[in-house]
Amino acid sequence: MKKQVSMVLAAAMTMSMVAAVPAAAEDITVFNSKMEIQTQMEETLQGDYSSTSGDKVTVYYSSDTVAAEMSKVYGSGSPYTVAMVDAKDIYSLAVEYGVDLSDQEWVANTTQAISVDGKVLGFPVCVEARGLIYNKTAIEDITGEEFVPENYKTLDAFKELLETLKEGGMDAPVAIMKEDWSLAAHYLAMFYEEREDVDAYIDALYAGEADVAGDARFNSLMDTFDVLKENNYAKDAPNAAVREDSEMFLADGDVAFMFGGNWDWAVMAEFDPEGEYGIMPVPQNDADEYYTLVGGGSKYFYVDNSENTTDAQREAGKALLNWFVFDEAGQDFLVNTCALVPAFSNIELEVADPLGQSVKAFADADMLTPSFNYMPDDHYAKLGQSMQSYLANEIDRAGLAQAVVDYWKSTTPVEH
Amino acid sequence: MNKNSMSYKTSQFLMFAGVSTVLFCGVVIIPFVYGLYLTFTSWDGVSRSKPFVGFANYAAAFADHDYWVALGRTLIYSAIAVILINIVAFLLAYMVTSGVKGQNFFRAGFFIPNLIGGIVLGYVWQFVFKRAFAALFGVSLLGTTGPNAMIALIIVSVWQYAGYMMLIYVAGFMSVSKSLMEAAQIDGCTTSQATWYVTVPLMRSSFVQCLFLSITRCFMVYDVNLSLTNGEPAGKSIMAAMHVYNQAFTYRNYGTGQAEALILFIVCAIVGVTQVYIGKKGEVAA
Repeated sequence: MKKQVSMVLAAAMTMSMVAAVPAAAEDITVFNSKMEIQTQMEETLQGDYSSTSGDKVTVYYSSDTVAAEMSKVYGSGSPYTVAMVDAKDIYSLAVEYGVDLSDQEWVANTTQAISVDGKVLGFPVCVEARGLIYNKTAIEDITGEEFVPENYKTLDAFKELLETLKEGGMDAPVAIMKEDWSLAAHYLAMFYEEREDVDAYIDALYAGEADVAGDARFNSLMDTFDVLKENNYAKDAPNAAVREDSEMFLADGDVAFMFGGNWDWAVMAEFDPEGEYGIMPVPQNDADEYYTLVGGGSKYFYVDNSENTTDAQREAGKALLNWFVFDEAGQDFLVNTCALVPAFSNIELEVADPLGQSVKAFADADMLTPSFNYMPDDHYAKLGQSMQSYLANEIDRAGLAQAVVDYWKSTTPVEH
Repeated sequence: MNKNSMSYKTSQFLMFAGVSTVLFCGVVIIPFVYGLYLTFTSWDGVSRSKPFVGFANYAAAFADHDYWVALGRTLIYSAIAVILINIVAFLLAYMVTSGVKGQNFFRAGFFIPNLIGGIVLGYVWQFVFKRAFAALFGVSLLGTTGPNAMIALIIVSVWQYAGYMMLIYVAGFMSVSKSLMEAAQIDGCTTSQATWYVTVPLMRSSFVQCLFLSITRCFMVYDVNLSLTNGEPAGKSIMAAMHVYNQAFTYRNYGTGQAEALILFIVCAIVGVTQVYIGKKGEVAA
C-alpha cells in the first residue's frame, strides 16, 4: 500500500513538472541604445509584452557609447540577450557574438538587415535619415505663403528665404546642435557619403591622397554650413547651445531650421506635438543629384550567442524580434508608441510623426543617399572637436580640411 | 612547537593576515598584473582573442599627441586646484576652530559637498554655469572659448574637496596642545605669530596628508570632468583619465588605453611619493 501511494505521488509530481515546462518563462535582457524611446521600451516590453509572451523582459539603457557598454558587459560575462547597437558594431561584435538569423521569417521583409559572410546578423530597428528640419508654420507665418521645400533646393534660394525671415522679425532663423556626433558623424560625414564611390574616397582618405580642401562636395556642404552658422541663434557661443533648448526653439517657431534627423521628433513632440514640421535636404548650389536625405537602416538588434546565454533565452530573443515585425501590438509599438519609421515592408501602419513622414516620402521616392556605416570609432569624437572649433570660428575652412586629412591618415582602417 | 619552523610561521601569518592577503591579491595585485598583460595585446575590449603585440601599445601611447596634451592639461589643473583647495581648506579649518558661534554647524556644512557624488555635482554646477551665468552675465562659462571650461572645473573641484581637507586640518589644529599656544603668547607672540610659528609647523603631517590626497584626486579626476564638461568645447577640457577611458572603451584601443593608464599611474605615483618624502623629512614632534 505504502509503495503504491509513493508511486502515485511520484507520478503526480513528475506530471506537475512536465506541465510546468511550457509555462516556464525565460528571463531575457534587452539593451536599448536609443535614449528617446527608453521609457516606451520599459513600459511596453517589461509590461504588456512580458505578460502576454510569458517571458520576463528587462530593458537596459546606458548613457555610455555602445562600444563602451558592450565592452563592459562582455568583460563581466553578463551580455544582453538582445542588444541594440549601431551598424558598425554588428561588424565588430556580432560577427563574433551574434546568432545567425538567416532562417528567420522577417529576413524576406526587409532590405536593411546586415549580413556578413552570408549570415544575417543584424535586425534593423528602423529607418532614419538626416537633413534640415523645418517648422512649416513658423515660416509661413512670416512669408504669408505656403512653404514648399522644393523651391529652396539651392543655397542661393535658401539664403533669400533666411533674409525674408529675418526681415519678418525672426532674428536668427537657424539652430545648430553642437554635439560632436551631430557635427561630425551626421553633417561632415555627408561629404563622404554624397558621391558615387564612397569606399574609394574613404580609401583615398586613409591613404592621405584625397584633396579635401579642394573637394567640391566638401566646399559645397561647408558653404551651406557657413550660412547656417551665420544665422545660428547661439552664434556668439555656439558650443554652449543646449540640445533641448534648440529643439524647443524649433518646435515653438522661434527658429525655423535645424540640421537633424527624424529621431529629433521624440524631443520636439514634448514641446509641440501638433505643429507642422518636415525634413528637407540640405540646400546646396549645383547639387541636384544630391537633393536627397542621407540615411537608411539605423540601429540593429543582434542576439547573443555567447556561453552566458542559454538556447531557450536565444529563442525568446528571436520571438521578441518576430513580435516587432508580425504582431499587431509589436508593429503598433514601433510605429505609434516609438514614432519610428519601420524597416519592414509588411508593416502598413501610417507613420505617426511628421519628420518620419518626410523620411518615408523621400525613401519611397528613392531619394535617400545611404549612410556610410564603417566610420572608425573615434571619427565622431576627433572630427567633432574640429567641427566645434570651426563652429566657434577658431579654425578656418582650410584648417578644418587639414584636420580631416590628418585624422584619416592617423586612424586605423575599419575592415568591412 | 618550534616557533622558528616554517609551518609555524606560515600558519601564524595566515591566521592574522591570510584573509586580507587574499583580498588584497584579488582586488589589487591580480587586476594590476592582468592590466599590465593587456598592455602587450591589441585587445579591442570585447573580442575573445587577445593578440600579443609586444611594446606596440607603449609606442602608440608615446606617439599619441592628444594624450600628452591631456596630461599637460591635467598637470596645470592639478597644480592650481591643489593650491586653492588647500588654501581654502586651511582658512576654513582656522575659522571653525577659532571658536566662532555655531562652528560645528559650519564644519558639517562645509563638508557636505564632499558627500555628493562627483557626477551629481557636475550636473548641478552645469546648471549654475550654463543657466545662471547666462542669466546674470549674459555668457555661459561652459562651451565658450578660452580656458573657461577649465576654470569651471577648478571651481567645482575646490568646492568639492575643500570641506574634506578642512576636516584633516581641523584635526591638525586640535592635536596641537593649547599650552604651547599659551606659552608662546606669554613669551610675547601675537595670536597670528603663535599660529604661524607654533601651530602650523606642528601640523606638518596634516599638510602632507592633505596635499597627497588632493594631488592624487586631481590627477585621477574623471567623474566631474565627465558630467560637467564632457571634454568640451572642442576637446579642450579632456583630462588624462578621460582620454584614457575614451581610448580604451570608446575608440576601442584597449591595450593603448591601458598603457596610457599605466603612464598616468607612474606620473601620479612619482609626484605623490616625492611630495610625501619631502613633507615627512621636515616633520617635527612636539
